[in-house]
Amino acid sequence: MSLSSPAARSVDSPVVVDRGDGVAMRARGLSLGFGSTAVLADLDLDIHRGTITALIGPTGSGKTTFLRSLNRMNDKVAKHWHRGDVLLDGSNIYSPGVQLMALRRRVGMLFQRPNPFPMSIAENVLAGVKAHGIAGKQHYRAIVEARLREVGLWEAVSSRLGSSPFNLSGGQQQLLCLARALATGPEVLLLDEPTSSLDPITTEHVEALLRSLAPALTIVIVTHNLAQARRVSNRTAFFYQGRLVELTDTTKLFESPEHPETANYVSGRMG
Amino acid sequence: MTTAGAGAAGRVPDNTPLDLYGRPAWHRVAAGYVGWGACGLAVALIAAPLASVLWGVIGRAVPVWRWSVLTEAGNGQGGGLANEIVGTLFILAGVSVLAGSVGVLSGIYLSEYARGRTGAVLRGASEVLAGIPSIVLGYVGYIALVIALHWQYSLAAALITLSALTVPYIAKSTEAALRQVPTTYREGAEALGMSPLRSLRRITLKAALPGITTGWLVAMAISVGETAPLLYTAGFSDSLPSLSLTHSPVGYLPYVVWTFYNYPAKAFQSLSYDAALILVVMVLVLIVLARIVVAFTQRHTERN
Ligand SMILES: Nc1ncnc2c1ncn2[C@@H]1O[C@H](COP(=O)(O)OP(=O)(O)OP(=O)(O)O)[C@@H](O)[C@H]1O
Ligand SMILES: [Mg+2]
Repeated sequence: MSLSSPAARSVDSPVVVDRGDGVAMRARGLSLGFGSTAVLADLDLDIHRGTITALIGPTGSGKTTFLRSLNRMNDKVAKHWHRGDVLLDGSNIYSPGVQLMALRRRVGMLFQRPNPFPMSIAENVLAGVKAHGIAGKQHYRAIVEARLREVGLWEAVSSRLGSSPFNLSGGQQQLLCLARALATGPEVLLLDEPTSSLDPITTEHVEALLRSLAPALTIVIVTHNLAQARRVSNRTAFFYQGRLVELTDTTKLFESPEHPETANYVSGRMG
Repeated sequence: MTTAGAGAAGRVPDNTPLDLYGRPAWHRVAAGYVGWGACGLAVALIAAPLASVLWGVIGRAVPVWRWSVLTEAGNGQGGGLANEIVGTLFILAGVSVLAGSVGVLSGIYLSEYARGRTGAVLRGASEVLAGIPSIVLGYVGYIALVIALHWQYSLAAALITLSALTVPYIAKSTEAALRQVPTTYREGAEALGMSPLRSLRRITLKAALPGITTGWLVAMAISVGETAPLLYTAGFSDSLPSLSLTHSPVGYLPYVVWTFYNYPAKAFQSLSYDAALILVVMVLVLIVLARIVVAFTQRHTERN
């Protein structure tokens, strides 16, 4: 499926085009900055298909900036520049002619703070579905129910689908945003500290959800919670001062990291 | 206050502010009274003129009120106000559409597209336009539309002149309202792959609607009440306005309030009181309508 011409696709089963190398997204020599400050320096990094990759590192190390470069959310930031490539299924998302709408349909995103739109709960779930013309009106109800069930919100909101999402708890709002992101059937889902404003129980629920989504979906999650990275991710990347220090299996990164900086960070000697 | 010392808390009212040692903080008490006093005074300064205007208008209009002023057109001896009411409604509807669309589109342009110098120049121009006295705009409308374009006194000349007067208010409030829409809405829409136009239509404009409506209301209140630009452009007429946009003068209520008030004949003076009352009612109806629309469209926002 090319980025320039979004093909019709089933809502329920994202078509995973495996090119055999198992890499969903890949950064090649990626440098990125704003004005005269360089934020990311010469990154090379693979995101394996169908796995969960955690991005960890001290504050200001460039995790968010990197995450946002995977669906080109940095483009609009003032004085943004970049060098190098980011590949999705082998094609560069920064090449001219790439349609941002098509890209973001394939690479979805969930933000740190829940950000439901000012429309009813059902309309929120359908926002992306309608924007991309993914399904006809007759399917709307089924999509809303399926997505809300998927994130475990259906029982709580089925009786008030037409009312405001801002009466939901913060955790419920975040789950609604997750349902909204899943409804467009993305192949890759980017999450920026998605549970930092949630209580432990909801966090656990979200983590279980992410693990269950993983084989069909490629997930990249930024987190400050090292325990969370250990619990949910298959692979973990350690960022430090805009560089990728180490990306390897989560167990290995936490138990026998190669680099002293990584060792310091995961053992809590550097924050 | 369990730590109240020296028994002081016992002698003063429960809500008296205390210092760290539990003693009443008299300067804070005094500051509190001064603050509330100032607020009360400000409210009074707003409410008193409003009450006086309403009282003056209602007190004069009600004793001489005839329901037939709503249905009869004017005649040389008085008659009714039907022609002026219809004329004012035409003007309102016209300005609402013309200034409303131009103003909202300008506001969208200023907030979403105009960058740097362009934006600054356009904003400045809009402020200058807002600062031009209405009678000057009326005169320009007279020279340009009524005379140069040979439209004569007409609805079109009145609409365009009043719109020039009110567009800056709508543009300004639209721009301000759009800028206040949280970036999380825009980013959320962007990350979902919504087109910028769709995100504007479905999310940003909707969230900005209360602010836009405020500007629109101000524009409507100006159009309902302005007399000077209309004297130059609408002329005046005793008969119901025709549907033609040019070459046909239009009657409107503020003219009646302004001129008939000084006529010696009682019938005319009564008409002037009635016209004032109808103007006030029109503005109130507009405010209520706007409130209803806003409440309906904002039922899914964070404020509820
Ligand atoms: N729009 C911008 N303009 C200039 N500098 C920026 C901009 N956005 C981010 N930066 C800088 O880029 C660096 C990395 O920021 P980023 O938000 O990616 O860090 P982070 O690893 O996500 O940190 P945190 O863990 O605190 O969220 C910081 O030094 C920040 O100041
Ligand atoms: Mg961050």
